[in-house]
Amino acid sequence: MRLLMVEKSIRILNSVIFILIICLSFACTADAQALLQTGTKAPDFSLKDIAGKVHSLSMYSQKKAVVIVFWSTWSAKSPKALKRFDEFYRKYKDKGIQVVGINTENQTIAAEDIVNVSSMVKNLDISFPILLDQGLSTFQSYNTIALPSTVVVSDGKITHELAGLPLTATEGLFDDLMVLAGDPPKKKMEPTYRPRYDAVADANLGRGFVKKKLYSMAYPFFKKSIEKDPKYMLSYVELSKLYETEGNIQEADGTLRKALSVEPENVVILSELGYLLTRTGKVKEAIEILDKAAKLNSYTPSHYYLAYALGKDGRTNEALASFEKAISLNPFEPAIYTLRAELYEQNKMLKEASSDYKKALELLLKIRD
Amino acid sequence: MKIIISSLTAFLCCMIFLSFPLQCAADEGKGKATSFEEAVALFEQGNTDRAIEVMKKVISADPQNAEAYDRLGYFLLKKAQFDESLNAFAAALKINPALRTSKTGSGLALFKKGDLKGAETTLTEALSLNPYPAFTHYALGLVYEKLTDYEKSVRQFKEGIKTFRSGKK
Repeated sequence: MRLLMVEKSIRILNSVIFILIICLSFACTADAQALLQTGTKAPDFSLKDIAGKVHSLSMYSQKKAVVIVFWSTWSAKSPKALKRFDEFYRKYKDKGIQVVGINTENQTIAAEDIVNVSSMVKNLDISFPILLDQGLSTFQSYNTIALPSTVVVSDGKITHELAGLPLTATEGLFDDLMVLAGDPPKKKMEPTYRPRYDAVADANLGRGFVKKKLYSMAYPFFKKSIEKDPKYMLSYVELSKLYETEGNIQEADGTLRKALSVEPENVVILSELGYLLTRTGKVKEAIEILDKAAKLNSYTPSHYYLAYALGKDGRTNEALASFEKAISLNPFEPAIYTLRAELYEQNKMLKEASSDYKKALELLLKIRD
Repeated sequence: MKIIISSLTAFLCCMIFLSFPLQCAADEGKGKATSFEEAVALFEQGNTDRAIEVMKKVISADPQNAEAYDRLGYFLLKKAQFDESLNAFAAALKINPALRTSKTGSGLALFKKGDLKGAETTLTEALSLNPYPAFTHYALGLVYEKLTDYEKSVRQFKEGIKTFRSGKK
C-alpha cells in the first residue's frame, strides 16, 4: 500500500516536472507579432546613451510607466514624435512617467551617426535619455515594424504600442498616461484593452508546439485562446498561419475573417488576410483589403503586402511606390526586399532582383559591411 | 522506502561525479577562452587592430587553435589585409581541413582581392563542406554579382535566404 502511494507520488512529480519543462521552454520562445503585443512581457534591454551611460528597462521598474520611442534621424516623423514626447515628459517626469528614446539609425551605429543623433537631440532640446541600439537588437526584440514607434510598459508588461505617429491614437495614449500619472480623466475613459492572461498563456503554448513542429498539439491551444478572449487577435493570426502551413487555405482564410468580424478595422488582420489572398490568386480582393489597411496607419507590412499584390496584378509602378513607402517606414525588414526582388524577377529585371535578395540576406545574417 | 533511499544516493553520487569533470574543464579553459573572447569582443566593438593583437597572442599560446586562426583571418579581412587573411585561413585549414568558415573566409578574401575565379572555386568547395551554408551562398552570390551573372547570383542569394529560414544559419 505504502509502495503504491510512493509510486503514485513519483508519477505526479514526474508529470509536474514534465509540464514545467514544457512551459519553461515555451515561455522562452515567445515571439509576438508586432502590434499584437499588448499584455505580453516587455523584453529588458541594456543600451548605452550618447554619453556612454548604460540604461536598462529594469532600472525604471519603479516608474508607473516607461514610454519607449523608437526613432531615427532619417525618418520624417521622428523629430515630431520626439518633440511631442519631450513636452509630455517635462510635465510628467516627476509623476512616475519615464520616457526613453531608442535610436535605430543603422544596423551598426557609426561615429558619424552619433554626431547626427546628437545634433538632432540638441536642436530639438530633448530632455529624456536617448539610447543607441547598436545591432538593432532591441528594435528586433520589440518586433518594431515602423519608425517612429512607441511602446508603453507598465508593471513589466506592454500596455500600448503605436506604429508611426497616428494623431488620434497618440493623443489617446497621452490621455491614458496622464490618468496613470494621477491626473483626472479628460473624458469618460474607455477601459484599455488587456488580453486575458490565460488566453495569452494558451497562445504561447500553441506557438511553442508550432515551433517544435507539433502542429496537431498546437490547434487546441489557439482555439482555446480565442474562446477565452475573442479579442486577442494574435491567436487568430497564429491559427491561420498554422492552417496555411498544413495546406488548409480555406480554414486559414476563415480564421482571419472571423477575427475581422470581431475587429473589422484591425490593420494586422486586414494585412494578413490580404497577403493570404494574394498568395492564393485572389489578387483583386487582396488589393481592396490591403489598400484599406495601408490607409489606416503606418503598419509597414500593409504597404509591402499591398505592393506585392499590385505587382502580381501587373501594376509594377504602383507596386514599386508602395515598396518605397514600406522602406521609408522600416528599411530593416528583410521581407520588403524579398518580395520586391520577386517582383523584379517576375519582370526579368535580374540585376535589381539580385540586389534586393542580397539586401534581404544581409539583413537576415546581420552582415554589417 | 529502502529503494527510494538507495536511488536518491545513487542519483546524488552521479551528480557529484558528473560535476567534477565539467568544473575541471571549465577551470582549465578559462584563461584560453577569456583571451579568445576578449579578441572577439574587441572586434565586435570595432577595435579591429587590438582584436588582431589579442588573437595573435591566443595563437602563440596555442598554435593548434584552428578557430583562433579562423577568427584572425576574418579580422584581417576587415582590415583589407587579404594576403595575411588568406594565410590565417590556410593555417586554420591545415589544422582542421573541414573548417567550413575558413574555407568561406578564403573564398571571400580571394573575392576581395579580385580573384573571382579562385573565389568561385573555393566557395563552391566550401558549400560541399558546409552544413550551414547561408553565409557561403551569400559570398558566392557576391562573386556572381561581380561577374554580372545575375541569374546565378539570384540563385545563390535565394538559396541563402531559404537556408537561413530553414534554421541553418
